[in-house]
Amino acid sequence: MSATQEVARMLTLVPWLLQRPGATLAETAEAFGVAPQAIRRDLGHLDFCGLPGLGGGDLFEVTLVGDRVVVSMADELRRPLRPTPAEALRLVLTVDAVADVLGEDLPALRSAVTKVREAVGIPEDVADVLEDDPNERELIAEALRDGRRVRLSYQGRGDDAPVTREVDPWTFHVQHGVWYLQGYDHGVGERRTFRLDRAADVEVLAVSITQPAPDSLPPPTYAPAPDDPQVVLELTASARWIEEALTVDEVVERADGGALITFRTDTPRWIARLVLMAAGGAEVRSPDALREDVVRLARAAHPDS
Amino acid sequence: MSEKAERLVNLTVALLETRRPLTFTDIKRRTGFYGQRDHESGRRMFERDKDDLRRLGVPVVVEDLAFGEDQGYRVVRRDYEFPDIDLTPEEVTALAVAVHLTGGEGTRLALTKLLARAPDPAPLENAPPVQVRIAADAVDAVASAVVTRTALRFTYRTADGRLGERRVDPYAVVQRRGSWYLVAHDHERAALRAFRLDRIQGRPRTVGEPDAFRTPADLDVASAVSGPEVAGIEVDLAVDPTARWAVESRGGSWTGQQVDGRPVLRVAGLDEDRDLAWLLGLAPGVRVLAPARVADKVAAGLRAVLEVHDAEPVQETT
Repeated sequence: MSATQEVARMLTLVPWLLQRPGATLAETAEAFGVAPQAIRRDLGHLDFCGLPGLGGGDLFEVTLVGDRVVVSMADELRRPLRPTPAEALRLVLTVDAVADVLGEDLPALRSAVTKVREAVGIPEDVADVLEDDPNERELIAEALRDGRRVRLSYQGRGDDAPVTREVDPWTFHVQHGVWYLQGYDHGVGERRTFRLDRAADVEVLAVSITQPAPDSLPPPTYAPAPDDPQVVLELTASARWIEEALTVDEVVERADGGALITFRTDTPRWIARLVLMAAGGAEVRSPDALREDVVRLARAAHPDS
Repeated sequence: MSEKAERLVNLTVALLETRRPLTFTDIKRRTGFYGQRDHESGRRMFERDKDDLRRLGVPVVVEDLAFGEDQGYRVVRRDYEFPDIDLTPEEVTALAVAVHLTGGEGTRLALTKLLARAPDPAPLENAPPVQVRIAADAVDAVASAVVTRTALRFTYRTADGRLGERRVDPYAVVQRRGSWYLVAHDHERAALRAFRLDRIQGRPRTVGEPDAFRTPADLDVASAVSGPEVAGIEVDLAVDPTARWAVESRGGSWTGQQVDGRPVLRVAGLDEDRDLAWLLGLAPGVRVLAPARVADKVAAGLRAVLEVHDAEPVQETT
């Protein structure tokens, strides 16, 4: 935490506490998303702030009784500092994205977003999140709300064909514009994550869920495991979009705009498809098995075969 | 560090409280700081603090004073203060829930600023079972220029890998399908363009003054990021059962015919260049039957894949 970040918080902390005399340390820390010790430290600083130079000093008064805080004599900072353009833009985009995702589940958010946009001067034609609304969303949302099991047809990245699954739905994740459902997959007897754009034929069953959601769920994106195979691809400049589709461990830039990239994957089959899509812009340098897979697929598809 | 934090808060208070601009000497007297024996090092410390405050968004203005050669500093209260927003308790709750659902990365403090003087939240029964991640930090590099309507220049890598310098009027930032775009007027091309933020190389630099342009009233950001409309073509595909689902999800429908025991599906609205990658990715489960031009392009793409992997289209027999 740099001194300037502390200052940004302190300049907001003063008006926040002026508005809420007697707030507890815990609720203050909660509102600022920091540990109570950080607030305690800020208050220690603020006790020495104000206008020290004017005839013996005109400092803020910070009183801490038990865990309740009162700040007074700090009227100079009665209102918060305006958010910076970057802060304002992030906030607007974030709440807008959530409003899109929740639709009518949280109607007050729509009107709140409009008011926030107006207050920070960022209308919709300056910053917007365009969410795809997957067809299957409504049905699954209904199942989530009512605690009912769903049946869906799903083709994972590593699957040859769609498989019918029965799932106790737990939560939606919308990660960078992609919708995921997390839930308990009765076929495998474990938690699974489903990308909604790979799901079809969703049916809400007349069965209540039997596996309740755990208190916290990990984010849905693939995190490479240490024993997943490592892949090295050589990309030309025109195939650099592949990098954007992966979580890459290492990139070695080439003078001609190409790159050598290294990453791990649990679905080599999907990587082979990406290499085919690059139409010669990507070469598998290792492992050999993946190289052979690519050659086998390309040969099988070539009209001379 | 603690001393610095206190110094920056006190400097802010001193600059806010004054009606007339304060000279450096005034500031030393009011704050009790910067009084180093070496005048120059005190002055340098003040300059650094002033720059730090500006980075936080504290609008420190510098004015020439009528008398003497010195300059004066102050913060105009109405430019500093965030005006109250008239939010209901339900709206406060909704905003807090929204930031909570996104994990609050980089937005928590901004929300607290907004809600500093707002009513307390209304109780909420259940948080919706949704988590949202949008990685809005990608917009930081262009945020200020977009909000203040200042022109930008940057180095941009196109999808096919070419690098070039761009000079643009940045109109809007938009996220679509997980990618961030800057929708802007490209000076050189004299046209509206959408630039992917992750293809901007290095940090964009501002050019000229704020308020340099107006956002067109008829700006349609959604169509700007979806790219130029293409005249789609119809493609006939022989499809394996394993790939049928993928083709149907693109709108493919069965023509009633079969080729080599595989059903023939027709997909409309494809772009013969942009959708080539899609067709290649489905090989060998999908074979293009018509038009021949598209079949040839797919075959050429497959040949190129084999060439870079030092393989012939047909396995050599020894």
